[in-house]
Amino acid sequence: MSGDSASAIQRSQVDLVDFIDWSGVECLNQSTSHSLPNALKQGYREDDGLNLESDADEQLLIYIPFTQVIKLHSLLIKGPEEEGPKTVKLYSNKENMGFGNVNDFPPSDTAVLSPDSLKGKPIVLKYVKFQNVRSLTIFIEDNHSGSDITKVQKIALFGTTVETTDMKGLKKIEDH
Amino acid sequence: MVLEATMICIDNSEWMRNGDYAPSRFQAQADAVNLICGAKTQSNPENTVGILTMAGKGVRVLVTPTSDLGKILACMHGLEIGGEMNLASGIQVAQLALKHRQNKKQQQRIIVFCGSPIKHEKKLIEMIGRKLKKNSVALDIINFGEQDDGKIEKLEALLAAVNNNDTSHIVHVPTGSSALSDVLINTPIFTGDGEGGSGFAAAAAAAAAGGLSGFDFGVDPNLDPELALALRVSMEEERARQEAAAKKATEEAAKQEKGEGQPSGTQDAMMTERANVATSEVDNKDDENALLQQALAMSMDDPDSGHETRDTDMSDAAADDPELALALQLSVQDGTKDSSSQSDLSKLLADQSFVSSILASLPGVDPNDPSVKNLLDSIQSQTESQQKNEEKEPKEDEK
Repeated sequence: MSGDSASAIQRSQVDLVDFIDWSGVECLNQSTSHSLPNALKQGYREDDGLNLESDADEQLLIYIPFTQVIKLHSLLIKGPEEEGPKTVKLYSNKENMGFGNVNDFPPSDTAVLSPDSLKGKPIVLKYVKFQNVRSLTIFIEDNHSGSDITKVQKIALFGTTVETTDMKGLKKIEDH
Repeated sequence: MVLEATMICIDNSEWMRNGDYAPSRFQAQADAVNLICGAKTQSNPENTVGILTMAGKGVRVLVTPTSDLGKILACMHGLEIGGEMNLASGIQVAQLALKHRQNKKQQQRIIVFCGSPIKHEKKLIEMIGRKLKKNSVALDIINFGEQDDGKIEKLEALLAAVNNNDTSHIVHVPTGSSALSDVLINTPIFTGDGEGGSGFAAAAAAAAAGGLSGFDFGVDPNLDPELALALRVSMEEERARQEAAAKKATEEAAKQEKGEGQPSGTQDAMMTERANVATSEVDNKDDENALLQQALAMSMDDPDSGHETRDTDMSDAAADDPELALALQLSVQDGTKDSSSQSDLSKLLADQSFVSSILASLPGVDPNDPSVKNLLDSIQSQTESQQKNEEKEPKEDEK
């Protein structure tokens, strides 16, 4: 299975970091010095010293809108063994979620991370549930050690884009 | 100018009947609320404010976050005093009201007026604070009225739990001293985290200080900001002119050594005529437009006389602007030019009637005074060389 997922990424899945709409990205309960771009942005996320950390308690709510519709195949989360996330719930196309209403809807998928996955192994998701994703909400419910601070070093999403019209490619039709 | 949705939690418990804040605690609170609503809506037109009461029969939302100031002020009428304040519920309901705001882009803020004792445990208060922080809601606490043991401690604990990067504040208002609103105006609650006190706050302070007539020029900046601004600008200009005139007096002694001109006498007469014409017009803004047009007409019709007026323009333009005076001095002494100052001079040189009006308005300066005439003549020689540059430079100026 692990070999399968690795090859799936090589085959057709793309790292979706290029399709993230950065203007709408939000993260609730993040610490101001250790914020979401540390885990999500190219360059920052490769640096294991730069983490996303939670603030008031161990939960984190991350909202990622995309610039176009995508299909999400797999997820990669890297974190320290102790304070890395354990239970991660994913919600597709739900906007403006808060900690109050995370439990109101069933998640599109739930992933329980093992210390192994925290080293940077991609987790394959229920592909059928993520066929038409405009935005993704990641709810990190708890961490392995049970401490008040959850630390995340890297979050990467893999998938494909749905065939969409490239508006730049449209040419004006000449009148006959 | 932060885009914000604010919920104001009012304490309308029995403790608010007390008169230790004039006229009563409740009235002082209401005034403060009105001021805050005004300040918020003015700092950003898309800001919304809502109000709820914490005491009475229970926590009641009077108006959900709206940008309609009239609606907010209207709901402050007919509020009844009674019951006991429920701080925890009040804050939680406020948080809920903010959660369902229409514009999700707005930052969330709760302002709590706490005038009676707090019956909750410190732990509960802290938990509420942490929940607010988790949902990125800022909190401003106004502590006034009843001070019992532990109230300040609880409020400080609440602030510590909520505070994220100094977005939340607490203000303690002691009894007596001055009105609640006056104390609040100087706090970050009004001035918005050091963005710079809004003009509203400044005007409100002026109003509080001396009634309506307390405004600088008898004009309410809120009612007519443009007129107030124009008056203020003209006052500053006048002051600057007078300062520069004093400077000029010392320069004149040096310049008297330079040439003389017979025509200057007649030119002065023409100038004073123009000055009278100019001053007969309405003040300031209209003046400048008309003057500019006159200047243009003059410069096209009569370049010779234009020289003289431009001379005076230069001295008076210099009088008008201390920086210009400095540039003038430099050009007189060195003959080397800073092109930007020259072009400024050139512009103002053209604005002759503006200058002539200034000349007439300067106290103690008589256009027929020999020293002034000498000054004008001496400048004439400089401006002739400047005009050559002026022709080249207007194109640069226009940009």
